Amino acid sequence: MLDYDIVVVGAGPAGSAAALKAASEGKKVLVIERGPEPGSKNVSGAMIRKDYVTSVFGEDMPFERNVETIKLSLYNGNKPVNIEFHPRGLVTTGRLKFDKWLSSVSEKAGAMVIPKTTALKLNWENGVAKSLTTDRGEVSAKSFVLAEGVNSLVSMESGIKGDWTPENSVQAVKMVYSIKKSDLNTLFDLPDDNTGMSWRMITSDPLIAGFMYTYKDSLAVGIGSPIKELIDRKIRPEKLLDDFLAMTGIAEKVKGYSLREYSAKIIPEGGFPDINVAKGNVYLCGDAIGLVDPLTFDGITPAIASGTLAGEAAVYNYDKEIYRYNLMKNPEISKIAKERKLETDFMTGNKAGEYINMVSSMLEGWASGDLMGIRNTMVSNYRNLIPDLMTFVMRMR
Amino acid sequence: MRTEEKLYTLRYKKDDKSHLAIKDVNTCLECTAKYGEPQPCVSICPANVFSWQNNRIVIGYENCVECGASRIACPYENIDWNYPRFGKGIALRYA
Ligand SMILES: Cc1cc2nc3c(=O)[nH]c(=O)nc-3n(C[C@H](O)[C@H](O)[C@H](O)COP(=O)(O)OP(=O)(O)OC[C@H]3O[C@@H](n4cnc5c(N)ncnc54)[C@H](O)[C@@H]3O)c2cc1C
Ligand code: SF4
Repeated sequence: MLDYDIVVVGAGPAGSAAALKAASEGKKVLVIERGPEPGSKNVSGAMIRKDYVTSVFGEDMPFERNVETIKLSLYNGNKPVNIEFHPRGLVTTGRLKFDKWLSSVSEKAGAMVIPKTTALKLNWENGVAKSLTTDRGEVSAKSFVLAEGVNSLVSMESGIKGDWTPENSVQAVKMVYSIKKSDLNTLFDLPDDNTGMSWRMITSDPLIAGFMYTYKDSLAVGIGSPIKELIDRKIRPEKLLDDFLAMTGIAEKVKGYSLREYSAKIIPEGGFPDINVAKGNVYLCGDAIGLVDPLTFDGITPAIASGTLAGEAAVYNYDKEIYRYNLMKNPEISKIAKERKLETDFMTGNKAGEYINMVSSMLEGWASGDLMGIRNTMVSNYRNLIPDLMTFVMRMR
Repeated sequence: MRTEEKLYTLRYKKDDKSHLAIKDVNTCLECTAKYGEPQPCVSICPANVFSWQNNRIVIGYENCVECGASRIACPYENIDWNYPRFGKGIALRYA
């Protein structure tokens, strides 16, 4: 049987961060990836924080365009309320190129990456995992990192965590259209091939978090919507995306351009801190413990942050409480943990709807000169809604 | 655009063995009586993998985009949901 110090399941951002950390500490590390190459099974927007990624993985990160403008639209019916920001340090990227690069950095640090191999289960002895069974054989190690993403079958099989439920997960579907650079620049008023814009939308009924990101020579669009709501209302996700594209006017813009790729993936909405993060010498990180914000879709930063900590925990064989503590005190991770309540309200209550109605009635009041109306809206909603709305808008940046 | 046309954009290597299975066909009858058609798995799947034919769920696993939703949507945990073996299934390029 092959024998390693540390075996990592999954070569996504969390797994590659764990492998990089453990290999940099001189450990013999093996990464098992089920896809034909890292990234080939993964779906994101993706808009990411370049400086953060670079601080862990070094320079030369592949990306599509710098995001100079983010437009946020809150839809109440077909009329959106728009907010625009000019963020710093955000770029768009596709997962195949991005994940391949992350994985290559871990390889340079000494990790061994084996693709086309699916991890099936851990073999335990007295609460300690001894080896991992894959569809190509078995491998033993002193400790393991499960960075398997949202569909974390090995973690579930080991009884470390349960599955997501329709109440705490989101179905996301995405389409990428081929649009040549110059056309894209004209369509979205972009000054050059390196400058991009992002558009994030929220609709209240049904609750949809949508995105549109400019890549170099293509346009990525997608939506996420709570699974419970989709099933209860028997809404088909791909139909919802088509309707959404029509409503936002994107369908009109992409007319005549060809669809390059269609994809889908669920997004966890619950999870850390209300979840087990380790068992014995096995540490979970990233989407496997729900470290993603389903409204802003920021999951890559916390995946990398938690992956690095899981790699460290695996090197020193930390007790699970110490690993949990380290996760909790990391700012990228604690942010998500703290905002869980707001997220739950958004998903299960109809807060999103309340925000949108509040903002649009305020602006309508203003436009019609009804300043008393604005005041009433402000006063009646201020206590609970405005602070949450501000938090939400800040997160979107 | 039809879902099938969207799926044509995907690179795919077929595993001969289905990575998805219904655990107990009788449970699907119970589910249909309770939830009606389309059943939760049929309606949540973005790849038309499930269809209701002659009182049972038929699985076209080769369309699966491996999103994970059907496993969670099934109210009876009646879907045996695995990954395709040996790196088979979808291979995304731009996601
Ligand atoms: C539509 C959509 C848009 C998003 N947009 C953004 C965005 O703009 N910005 C952002 O930061 N985040 C975004 N996210 C979230 C982000 O994609 C995730 O949070 C992030 O990918 C989590 O990283 P991870 O490493 O934990 O998991 P993953 O990226 O899912 O990686 C898990 C890896 O493990 C492999 N694997 C799984 N099981 C096994 C097994 N049994 N054996 C072998 N290998 C296995 C998988 O193939 C995969 O490579 C988006 C998500 C979706 C669905
Ligand atoms: S994983 Fe996704 S694509 Fe595959 S059968 Fe389930 S819902 Fe359909």
